[in-house]
Amino acid sequence: MGLILEVKNLTKKFGGLTAVNDVNFEVHRGEIVGLIGPNGAGKTTLFQVISGFEKPNSGSVRFNGVDITGKKPYQIVNLGMARTFQLVRSFRYLSLLDNISVSCLSPRGKEAFGEIGIDAAASSILASVGLVDKARLPPVILPHGDLRKLEIGKALGTNPEFLLLDEPFSGLAHEERVGITKLIEQLTDEGVTILMTGHVLRELMTLVPRVLAMHQGRLVAEGPPKEVANNKIVLEAYLGRGEAFA
Amino acid sequence: MKKLQFDWQSPVGRFRVWALSFRGGITLLCLVGLLLVPMTGREYLAKIVITAMILAIFAASWDLLAGFAGQTSFGHAAFFGISGYFTAAFVKFFGAPWFLAVFIGASDAVLFSVLIGIPCLRLKGPYLALGTLAFSLILYNLFLTGSWLGGTQGISGLPNVGNVFVLFYIIAAFMVASLVVMRAIADSRLGTVLKAIRDDEVGADAAGINTTVYKLVAFMVSGFFAGIAGALFVLDSTAVNPAVYQPLYSFYAIIMASIGGIATIYGSIVGAFLFQLLSEFLRPLAAASLLIFATLLILIIRFAEGGVMNPFLGHVQDLWDKIRGR
Repeated sequence: MGLILEVKNLTKKFGGLTAVNDVNFEVHRGEIVGLIGPNGAGKTTLFQVISGFEKPNSGSVRFNGVDITGKKPYQIVNLGMARTFQLVRSFRYLSLLDNISVSCLSPRGKEAFGEIGIDAAASSILASVGLVDKARLPPVILPHGDLRKLEIGKALGTNPEFLLLDEPFSGLAHEERVGITKLIEQLTDEGVTILMTGHVLRELMTLVPRVLAMHQGRLVAEGPPKEVANNKIVLEAYLGRGEAFA
Repeated sequence: MKKLQFDWQSPVGRFRVWALSFRGGITLLCLVGLLLVPMTGREYLAKIVITAMILAIFAASWDLLAGFAGQTSFGHAAFFGISGYFTAAFVKFFGAPWFLAVFIGASDAVLFSVLIGIPCLRLKGPYLALGTLAFSLILYNLFLTGSWLGGTQGISGLPNVGNVFVLFYIIAAFMVASLVVMRAIADSRLGTVLKAIRDDEVGADAAGINTTVYKLVAFMVSGFFAGIAGALFVLDSTAVNPAVYQPLYSFYAIIMASIGGIATIYGSIVGAFLFQLLSEFLRPLAAASLLIFATLLILIIRFAEGGVMNPFLGHVQDLWDKIRGR
């Protein structure tokens, strides 16, 4: 398995606050990796920097061997890295089908789906995330779980090799979490590499063989979920025993 | 009874289906009514409708940019005025045929929209609106104080395209073609991407869309149609002066699009006709007309936030369905 993502000495500061502090890690092709840490640990900022929405103060990000540090988000997406957001972002006046179509109309989406047609591709993606029967509805009337699925569907419209999932289980009921878990498993079976954040380990334990733990902008532990969950520093300093397995 | 059978795939079949629908029928009725105006022989009425049709194109061009792409411009008069000046200059000084001059003017508006768009697209929301307003004010002052292109007098004495009724049909053709094309753009893939940018620009970026390029395209397309309106305005009035750059013209477009319904394109026709007819009917009341006009506008905006066209058509359709016993 070759390297797909290589993060080196990445630092991001907001004034006097260092949100991401000298972070180093690698992700291999086909892997699914969890990124944990309490609220404010810097997970989302790290995602923002990797996906191009924030420029780092120092360090580099290489994707598929290409230096993508400081590139614009749409350029990174068209290289094969898509992301979802912790706070769901949907095109609220467009139907679900059109929400997905927008991603399929990106240069990478068109290259992948141009032959079968944008509508057919968007329908197929909606079917894969379990929303095809709601294709003509606007997102504003969807429950939160469906919005999370839509968010993943929008990312899939760009035909990604690598997915950054920011808190995909946040705010979901148990049944909805099961649905999203199945969807993520299906994606990894299809060969999509995934880096996902979460502050509750329960879902991550079943999904990921490797976890990165962050605290105060630093990467403080790395390894199999059980090992990281039982790591004394992680438990005592960052998660708290009760919260980690909530 | 013989069943109606259409070939749904053929353009004729699709047109018949559309023409027999409620909205299609209403549109055709309005179109027939419009084309009958010159047959009344009333020049004054024809002139009012000509202005309304030009303003409808102008308002729809603003609607395409603001309503569909979410890029609110307060300086739309810049495109209108630039095209008007170039059209007038090419007709007056180079003897260009009016039809060619209209497209030269509109093309110059496109070039100018790129010039405005590139610096302004870094701005968002109210800052974008103010940025575009600043450009139109700069042009207004440049043309007002500069002696070139006629200074305060502008360019006048352009030849008439034809009598008022010929001009009426020419402008009606331009209005129908412009609005149909703008609506088709809004309903196209390009329109879908523009609406996505309007709804959530960060989300569109995350979907792999180069939002800057698409917003610039929206500026160019909108600038082209605002330019068409500016060129027709000059051909109608056979003159142009720096007043075309006044912010008032930009706000006319915003008011008309808002009255008809933002993000509808066709609502601009309703808005422009209501605006123009009200302006004409209230004119004899002098200063009081402004008060009445402003009050009516406030009432419309208060009670028909989405514009008057869609609620009105909804009521007419309900009535029609009741009459037909559905």
